[in-house]
Amino acid sequence: MNPLLTPELGTYVWSLVIFLTVLFVLKKYAWNPLLDFLEEREKDIAESLKMAESAKSDLEQIKDESEKILNEAKKEGKSIVGDSKLRAEESAAKILNDAKAKSNEFLDDAKSKIEIEKKRAIKEIKEEVVDLSLELATKVLQRNVKDDDNSKFIKSSLEAVKVDEAKS
Amino acid sequence: MLIAEKVGKEWTMDQAPQYAIDHVANSKKNIFEFEFLNFLSEKISSFFGISPDSLFYIDLGITKHVFLLFFVSFIVVSSLVTLIQRYIAHKKNIPNKFMSIVEMFVIYLRDDVLKNFIGDKEYRSWAPLVYTIFFFVLFGNILGLIPIFDLTGLIGKVGYKAEMLGKDNILYLLSKGGHTVTANVNVTFAIATITFFAFIAAGIQKYGFIQHWKNLAPSGLPLPLYFIVVPIEFMGLFIRPLALTLRLAGNMMGGHIALIIFITFIFSATAELGGLAGFGIAPFSISLALGLTMLELLVAVIQAYVFALLTAVFIGMAIHVDH
Repeated sequence: MNPLLTPELGTYVWSLVIFLTVLFVLKKYAWNPLLDFLEEREKDIAESLKMAESAKSDLEQIKDESEKILNEAKKEGKSIVGDSKLRAEESAAKILNDAKAKSNEFLDDAKSKIEIEKKRAIKEIKEEVVDLSLELATKVLQRNVKDDDNSKFIKSSLEAVKVDEAKS
Repeated sequence: MLIAEKVGKEWTMDQAPQYAIDHVANSKKNIFEFEFLNFLSEKISSFFGISPDSLFYIDLGITKHVFLLFFVSFIVVSSLVTLIQRYIAHKKNIPNKFMSIVEMFVIYLRDDVLKNFIGDKEYRSWAPLVYTIFFFVLFGNILGLIPIFDLTGLIGKVGYKAEMLGKDNILYLLSKGGHTVTANVNVTFAIATITFFAFIAAGIQKYGFIQHWKNLAPSGLPLPLYFIVVPIEFMGLFIRPLALTLRLAGNMMGGHIALIIFITFIFSATAELGGLAGFGIAPFSISLALGLTMLELLVAVIQAYVFALLTAVFIGMAIHVDH
């Protein structure tokens, strides 16, 4: 009998016993825990992938939204700027016009006031001149001039003044 | 040179085949003697009415291969349980080098073999069996390639004369080589027996006892054909585990015998042509052996895979009859 093919029932029985023991031990302490672990891990991975996917779509949505908001804000800002520019220009023009009007008013006022003052001043000067000339005349004629001479002189002087006034 | 000459003097060329066969075959003697095992063997054998001289005497003694079976199963269980338990305990950890290899095989077998042939739902109950077959056979094959026990042979041949150790010495028996349990037909037949009962159990579990045996032959054939189909299918049932047995054992045996023969070229050349010839042939001999060892490494994985694959296929065939 070829020693390589001899039936050795003892070895056969030992193989069965040992293999079944190994199977039992490995099943309990290796394969079942490992398969459970792998399944759990794969579930985890699948879930995280799903989560990542949803997060990605969320992000995209958020991005879109933020872009929309940004665009709106830009538009609004532009309109606000345009508006305020317009308003500012308006108010500036208004202020300018007002100022111009006011200054014109002032000018007119000042002109009329100056005119009035001028007239008053001239009048005062005239009165002063009359008084002065009277004084002067009195002083000159103090010694021997009679009253009628005096009054004559006054009259002529006054006339002269009137003529002067008319001229001016 | 000295070594070669010393070996050469004890060597004659016609010893080579016997030496190679001795290397692969189981030891005739027990390497450890246990009284109660001898007692048990006798009891069990006489229970079945087998005489001690019979070829089928159930000798439970610890022969070389039984010892190696214990060794292999110890390595398989301790390494896999430690690796997997440690891996699971640290969930966030990345698997280490060995664990990623184990995980690669486990995931590959699960996705491409178990789920594919047995089914997405049913695979869980048969996965431990297929995985255990794969890793048990793989470790048996690969441990057989590690020439750890051959070193004892070297000591026996060169340091002392092997005979000086005494024929009953463990070292002497181990030095007679043969360190691949999966090259022993009895071992592979035992695993094939488990596959055999597994696929019958799978069918019975799914269809019930009677329907399972009816599934053996396809229904709807003309009656005369059944007289041909049923015997063929019935024979096929038993041929499957036999094919598994011989495929694995034959592959392992062949590889190791070839390996030993390549090595004995050195001894033969030395014995026939002198030390110089032995020295000259050594590089060729060693490189041939090296190349074959590489091939054997591949064969070790392939045969383990084939055994596991076919187990899954047979279970799948029993569950999915229409296939």
